[in-house]
Amino acid sequence: MIPEARDVLADMAAQAVRSASRELRLVTRDEVLEEVCAILADIAPEGEAHATAAPPVAPLPETAAGLEGLAALDRQELSALLGAVLAAHPGLAVLQGVSGQTLHHAPDLLSRTYARILDRKGSPLLLVAGEIRANSRDYPRPVPVELFKRPPFDLTPEDIAQALAAMAASPEYQDIGSVTTGTGAVHLFSTRHLERGYALFLAQRSESLEMNP
Amino acid sequence: MTRPDGGFAGKVLRVDLSTGKTSTLDTREKYGALLGGTGLGYQVLWEEVPAGTGPFDPANKLVFATGALAGTSVPCSGRTAITTIFPSCWPKALVGSGHMGGQFAARLKYAGYDAVIVEGRSEKPVWLFIRDGRVELRDATHLWGCGIRRATLEISQEMGADCCVAAIGQAGENCAPLATVVNSLSHSAGGVGGVMGAKNLKAIGVQGSGGVRIAGDKGQWERLVKFHLSILGANNQHVVPAFPSPESEYYSPGSRWVGEPGKRWGAARPPVEITGSIHDMSRIAYRTNSAAYFLGEQAWKHTVRGNGCTSCPIRCHTTLKVPAMATKYGVSEIAQGTCIALNFGRFFFPQQPGGPKGQSALEACMLGMNMADDLGIWSNYGQLQRDFIKLANDGVFKAKLGSAEYAAIPWDKWRAGDPAFLLDIIPRIGHRQGELGHVLGQGSGGPFEHWGIREEVWTADRATTYWKMGHPKHHANEDDGQCGVIINTQYNRDAQCHSHTNFVRNGLPLAEQKRLAGELWGSPDSVDAPGHYTRMNPHKARRAKWALIRKELHDCLGLCNWMGPWVASPLKERGYRGDNSLESRFFSLATGQKLDREALDLAGERVFTLHRALTIRDMATADMRGAHDHVPGWVYEDPKGAQPFSQGTIRMDRADMALAMDMFYELMGWDKATGAPTAQAYARLGLADVGRELKARRLLPGGDAA
Repeated sequence: MIPEARDVLADMAAQAVRSASRELRLVTRDEVLEEVCAILADIAPEGEAHATAAPPVAPLPETAAGLEGLAALDRQELSALLGAVLAAHPGLAVLQGVSGQTLHHAPDLLSRTYARILDRKGSPLLLVAGEIRANSRDYPRPVPVELFKRPPFDLTPEDIAQALAAMAASPEYQDIGSVTTGTGAVHLFSTRHLERGYALFLAQRSESLEMNP
Repeated sequence: MTRPDGGFAGKVLRVDLSTGKTSTLDTREKYGALLGGTGLGYQVLWEEVPAGTGPFDPANKLVFATGALAGTSVPCSGRTAITTIFPSCWPKALVGSGHMGGQFAARLKYAGYDAVIVEGRSEKPVWLFIRDGRVELRDATHLWGCGIRRATLEISQEMGADCCVAAIGQAGENCAPLATVVNSLSHSAGGVGGVMGAKNLKAIGVQGSGGVRIAGDKGQWERLVKFHLSILGANNQHVVPAFPSPESEYYSPGSRWVGEPGKRWGAARPPVEITGSIHDMSRIAYRTNSAAYFLGEQAWKHTVRGNGCTSCPIRCHTTLKVPAMATKYGVSEIAQGTCIALNFGRFFFPQQPGGPKGQSALEACMLGMNMADDLGIWSNYGQLQRDFIKLANDGVFKAKLGSAEYAAIPWDKWRAGDPAFLLDIIPRIGHRQGELGHVLGQGSGGPFEHWGIREEVWTADRATTYWKMGHPKHHANEDDGQCGVIINTQYNRDAQCHSHTNFVRNGLPLAEQKRLAGELWGSPDSVDAPGHYTRMNPHKARRAKWALIRKELHDCLGLCNWMGPWVASPLKERGYRGDNSLESRFFSLATGQKLDREALDLAGERVFTLHRALTIRDMATADMRGAHDHVPGWVYEDPKGAQPFSQGTIRMDRADMALAMDMFYELMGWDKATGAPTAQAYARLGLADVGRELKARRLLPGGDAA
């Protein structure tokens, strides 16, 4: 395979992933492949009508060579090459989704943190637990339960209550704890990263910031 | 070729209220080494105000001073420092500065002045008219007794729409130590209003048709301004949003970057919805909504806009419209403010119906802003309200006030958290009515002096957050362990330093903060997680020194230390780095006087050390460690008995803090035993003459040591 084909595929893949990231969507390799194939199919042989309304623009010689190289690949070969291109692209990131799928996004448009939240939105339990653990580990801080009612989490109080109840009953989530501040606000934390007493201190401190300008 | 005469307007105006005479001085020639702002103010006090001068004596001077960067396009450059013998400093008034933003600094420079030195005392109320080279003292008899809004309106009508008026209200007229001077509706400087009142100076109105010359290359200047904009966060340089965003790797619910796309300024006509990229440099003003930060979601629907200072894109003075204010309380339905001023009203109440973000809290905030910024009352960083609550809860008012005065106060409304209580209590303080108004208007020193309360009662009570000398802590150990404590020992009022707290509260994860701290201050160990403090180390001392000197530099240059320094940024591609040399780069380009970061920091240290020298001279002791750099007892206690350095406490260790002060003094080149600068330290900073004068007064460490 000619090197130009790889470069052209990298550009096409980045365009597809970036377009999805702008729409706050994570994409699989197969979804990117579909777009690539559609674009390749759309590049009609000379003399045939173009599918798009836009007037044809003559591609640069290296692009034309790359497109030719890609057209020569079968779908399986194209998929394998796309996998390598997506993994190596400096402007794209890979996320192992909760579904087990490998997902792609452009972190300058869709940050890793936000991508992780989007990926877990279908599973309130994983969403809540994952965010609590990440916050306890990284900042470190407990998070107010109210956080999960707001965008991008958008969980209902019932969703949150169910997730917390499920965690309480599951051995996998015994690290998830809660503290209640003097105002009655509940904050959630992970004992893997925060001790209970410190979590309470940090929760109370977070509320006091507004009274300590 | 660069001419080294940019940045400064060039002249300092001197106004003698006793004689009515005015004159000018050359800024660079006379005050250039001290940069402007507080540096200029300290120099005037050092040279012209004798030790022992009282704040309300005609011999006291009041120095309104901007800096080399005020009035330029540098973001966050709208500050004026007002330096004087500070009246709320207790038990003895010492040098201090109030600081205001708004439009005053720029207008003063456009009129051709970097500073105004006000001296003497007028026989009758006057206001100072400044229109370019025309300076007049005008009769203010008709304005005396008026609130700040009325005075501002009348002077504005006389001068024209493009003037800026800095005025005092009734609190200042009544020589309340807790009095402000206010310009541009809500931009106040605390503690100095009473000094204006004592001088019979109601206001300064200023109008200028000039500009500020930038000495350096204009293209370089524009690029640097754009770069500065690119590394700005929201209010207090919080560099991550409060909400998860696809455009940000990090978020922090405690961040003041609350302007999430989709939120609306609901009281704007028509309402404005926040849209677009959170990083868009032309939309920085949407990031901050102080009212939403302090009062929660409900504030969005009352938000009209963000207001702020000249050249500042942050707009931290949020304008609110609450129609109920007119109907329920008879005050304007519109008010604006930020931070403590925004919270002035609700801080009087230990609790309110609906909690701190309920409707009552909102109305209390609106009432407080409206009344305090008209009467010209300063809250002493919320100490006024904390003192009030403690005095009420401890039964002091009941015991000390006359029965008629006590009974006349609507305590039931206070206990119920009814904002209408403020309609009674705030005017008492502003007008200094009765014993309560007189005592509270004096600041924390009032109850100590008039009612014989021992200061130790306050320093032992953590809830007061009282620190020393009549003032509270201002971002101390609750935010930043030993650094916060060191910083709070140094000034004669609350420290007002944000260099340190803007970094530790910036919202980045601890690992990122430590990485940046390692680059900036030599070790990741210069920063701790809040409430998980480690023992003192030299890097913390270095950071404390940096924080203090950068604060002083900002006060000299006309920059806002509530916003800066800008050593962290929202930019992932920069590794969240800001720029530690930004101030010197701007200064060099503006003035044409090339100073790198170290050289400008040295100039800042010179100013900070002059403040120290003034304090030593006026306290008549070199023993700063024993007599001045106090730490209140509550810092060394924990309500649950937690030990210092354990997780979840802000309790500090006495021996460790003694070591911290040793390290700090040593780093400053000060004597460890007394915390006083040595003769060598003064000489190193170009203050040898100051050292000599202190030596003559036997106020160098070791008595008369050279």
